[in-house]
Amino acid sequence: MYYWHWLKNVVHRPHTTGFPTERDQAVAAMSDSDGIRTGDAGATGVLRRALAIRHVDAGSCNGCESELALLSGPDYDLSRYGFSFTPSPKHADILVVTGVITEAMVPVIKNVFEQMTAPKRVVALGACPIDGWVFHGAPGVRGRLDGIVPVTTTITGCPPTPGDILRGLLAAVDGVDPAVGKEGGR
Amino acid sequence: MDMEKTIAPAVAGCGTAQDWIDAWRTARTEGSDTVMLTSDGPILSVLLMNRRTGALSRLPWDPRQSPWEEACQPSWAGIGETLGAESRIGQERPDLAWQSSKIPSVRGKGIFVYPLGPVRADVAEALQYRLHVMGDEIVRLTLQNGFKERHIRDLVVGRTVAEALPVVARFTTTSNIHHTLAMVHAVEDAWQIQVPNWVRVTRTLLAEMERAYSHLGDLAALAVSTGLPVPQMEYLHLKETLLRISFSLFGHRYLRGTIVPGGLSTSGWSQDADPVGCARVVSDVLDQADAMAVGLERTSSFLDRLHGAGRVPSETVEWGRPVGPVGRASGLGMDVRQVRPYADYEDSDLRVPVEETGDAYARFRVRVQELDESLNLVRRILGGWHPREISSDESAAVVSGAPIKDYGVGIVEAPRGLLAYWMRFAPNGRIAHVGIATPSERNWAVVPDAMANSNILQDFPIIDASFSLTVAGWDG
Repeated sequence: MYYWHWLKNVVHRPHTTGFPTERDQAVAAMSDSDGIRTGDAGATGVLRRALAIRHVDAGSCNGCESELALLSGPDYDLSRYGFSFTPSPKHADILVVTGVITEAMVPVIKNVFEQMTAPKRVVALGACPIDGWVFHGAPGVRGRLDGIVPVTTTITGCPPTPGDILRGLLAAVDGVDPAVGKEGGR
Repeated sequence: MDMEKTIAPAVAGCGTAQDWIDAWRTARTEGSDTVMLTSDGPILSVLLMNRRTGALSRLPWDPRQSPWEEACQPSWAGIGETLGAESRIGQERPDLAWQSSKIPSVRGKGIFVYPLGPVRADVAEALQYRLHVMGDEIVRLTLQNGFKERHIRDLVVGRTVAEALPVVARFTTTSNIHHTLAMVHAVEDAWQIQVPNWVRVTRTLLAEMERAYSHLGDLAALAVSTGLPVPQMEYLHLKETLLRISFSLFGHRYLRGTIVPGGLSTSGWSQDADPVGCARVVSDVLDQADAMAVGLERTSSFLDRLHGAGRVPSETVEWGRPVGPVGRASGLGMDVRQVRPYADYEDSDLRVPVEETGDAYARFRVRVQELDESLNLVRRILGGWHPREISSDESAAVVSGAPIKDYGVGIVEAPRGLLAYWMRFAPNGRIAHVGIATPSERNWAVVPDAMANSNILQDFPIIDASFSLTVAGWDG
């Protein structure tokens, strides 16, 4: 049956979107045009090619995880930019943190960040690690990733779409939001 | 719907803790299922639901009536389904002197403990597994949760219904429609609101869309856990297709914010959407999902890993009474959509798959058949549905003022099983107390026994994926 799938894919166009480096109406419609904020905090050195992502859940509602899982699917295929998920922080170049940042996860995030080798980047994924979102002020919730580890890029959205996550990851690597333009950057 | 009925106490005035537990156990053996255990003020209350009629009854106990030495714990008395609630209440209420319900660790020559988590796997939620292994065999599993506790039950107290809904919709995003629906049912129960037929049909559509994409994601995770990336990619593509349909019709990939008390919130909905075209795409998704399932059924490397893996022992099924696909794969054929039909399920003749073996393969089979049923229902509804028929939202007018009853109950069948909200309201309409029973919290209790049932370490990711429970649902 899988041979049939391969044959079918030769005839049809692949599912993979060109977003964010090419135009794709369907994905751009779901995207939040100014959802990416990127800076130089913690961005030391230049990252090239194979980029391993370590994801840490610090109190998320499962939405960002669902979208992250879809990134490796055929529609977004994050491996075409060289990204991959890694189980080990020591292999990781990019730390992606989701969720509201509970007190219990603060030492874990610090530990993971310290184990990553430089150069490295930190991405705050979703509205929760930026300002706590609807959980702001809940008991045991820190609500901000900033101040625990230096945050290079923030991606807003609840949850951000896979297209925006890809944009944010690319922006974290070289400091340029690929959907906006080529000016600036590292 | 019989939700308007007041919930009668099953036994008037239980005296001691022993009486309370005995009455609870009797109700369980006489055809009632525990829905939740909650502590509202000093009084502990158990909500029970009759497995056949769906009638609710309540079993209150006031711990001030008997000294704590006599207190005994539900999980020790053979009632395991409220284990999560029990440990939470035990921490909040030292007067009960409930012992933490941790499974004792195993010691012995040659036994190693693998701590796994809270940072684990590729993309995974924060939970620590402690796998006690002897050679390759898993002899014991203990779970450490609480890394992502957001205290939603405390956070919503004192808020109005409109302020609480956005928080509740972020309990677990992959069941956010069902969380919203359960709370909205509780509110509609308290304010005695009847919703028109088209609202019920649309709610069924939203709920089944959510079940379908949730099951597709779970099947993708199961496929890759057995080392089969091709079906994983196919399932992920089908899930993305459904999420894009959701976006094109309702303006949100995860359908969030579409259901409000008394109706629907149509603000983000596209008026020039093409539901019939979407129905055609859903039909394609259905065909491809069926073809995938047939392909997996013919893949011996997949079946070899699933057959007999992670079997829930029958005594654990009796103790923990799991719900949803996990329960239905272990022979417990309970589905809220049949027992207490809500939304439009009374008219949709629903086929509920039940398997008896209780292993990973049974859970796969149940999920595949439920996915089939959900997609069929979505396709059928979309064929005769249009957002133009739905008038603007009525939420603001409905939830203002005092509630007619001071409490309300909402029970729904979420993608992972029975999900219940039991809410008490202050006279000004603000939330005074909320009890939430999530299917994940309940089903995690049976995972250790299924894992330590002559499985080897290599089976762990497969069994974990076959349960596909969320940690967000446990650590609310």
